[in-house]
Amino acid sequence: MAAFFIFLALQVSIRQAVLFLVGIGMGAALAGARFGFTTGWRQLARERDPRGVTGQLVLLALAAVCAIPLIGTFPELQAALGPPGVSLVIGAFVFGLTMQIADGCGSGTLYKAGLGVPLNLGILPLFAFGSFLGSVHLDRWLALGHLEPVAMVDQIGVSGALIATLVLLALLAVGIRLWVGPQRCWFDRRWLTGAIVLAVLATLNLLIAGQPWGVVYGFGLWFAKLAQASGVWDPAMNAFWSQAGHASRLAQTLLMDITSITNIGILAGALWIAARSPDAGKPLTPRQWAIGLAAGFLMGYSSRLAFGCNVGAMLSGISTGSLHGWIWLPMAFAGTLIGIRLRERFRF
Amino acid sequence: MSDPTVKRDQRLRALVFWSVLTVFVAWDWARSDPVDLRNEPPLIAAGSGQAASGGHCSLAR
Repeated sequence: MAAFFIFLALQVSIRQAVLFLVGIGMGAALAGARFGFTTGWRQLARERDPRGVTGQLVLLALAAVCAIPLIGTFPELQAALGPPGVSLVIGAFVFGLTMQIADGCGSGTLYKAGLGVPLNLGILPLFAFGSFLGSVHLDRWLALGHLEPVAMVDQIGVSGALIATLVLLALLAVGIRLWVGPQRCWFDRRWLTGAIVLAVLATLNLLIAGQPWGVVYGFGLWFAKLAQASGVWDPAMNAFWSQAGHASRLAQTLLMDITSITNIGILAGALWIAARSPDAGKPLTPRQWAIGLAAGFLMGYSSRLAFGCNVGAMLSGISTGSLHGWIWLPMAFAGTLIGIRLRERFRF
Repeated sequence: MSDPTVKRDQRLRALVFWSVLTVFVAWDWARSDPVDLRNEPPLIAAGSGQAASGGHCSLAR
């Protein structure tokens, strides 16, 4: 890790080297605290255990308190603005469903792969393939109908966006309280520690990179590079990849790409944690393997249609005042309710 | 969790995974445009006056 950091600093850029460290911190926090978005949602829906989701709400609130004022102050910083539309609704629903079967969202797949969990190691390349294919088909999905991205900071100002975000998060907490009942334990030190550390690191990512934390784009880029090199696919003929920004990222090393470098950092951070607490994962039958891998592919595909996963759309979208994050959340949770049943049916 | 077989299998999986990832990154480094070190992005984007140029999953285009 130290050698790679030095290589990045000397041969790529200091910024990328520092972002690699931020990624290591994210991976260590995710794996060390077992901060799984998927698990938290499942515990809430199945066991009425709100501790994981409370941790996620704290993360969203802290990240929003930091990010929204920063975006209002520094015009260089970009929010995670995805367009609301058919693509987002379907993509978020399918993502929420498949992440329960694959037992990990975008960041969850990364950190569990870093921990050495066999299914997530197998899912990672299929997730990348799905993410690439989703980006290739994105223009067709957008043609089904969409609105322009809505930035709450632009619409109602920094104070209005921050208050609206915190009020909506508080309403979610009230709704969860009504669902689980009054006798439940709300807070767990592990989840809260993970939430605080991840909020700090997500803010650092925004300050340093100028854009919020994301996971999915990097994977699509990696597979796009392989597809281009194989000669079977021409990015110049594709609506998404022929755009100037994406085309230049295809030509330059992935070590210059922001999400790629934080993704590698997350893997490295999880590997560091894995050395202390090995995780063999649960043995799976061939049928479970096939279903899990198919879910991983669909998860990658749908995450592009949804303009992000739990990190890029939910955390980064909501914390930077993007409307699409607030559409993503209920749609993905609706998908999760079905995904949990399918997960039980296939005996995961 | 401290089963030696578990640890050995995990080490083997990690070795294979990181080997594949290292080969991929090296292959990409070799085929990509050289990095322009004179045109390095600012260490901190906030306050730099330069708009972020990275890709993000929220991008529709």
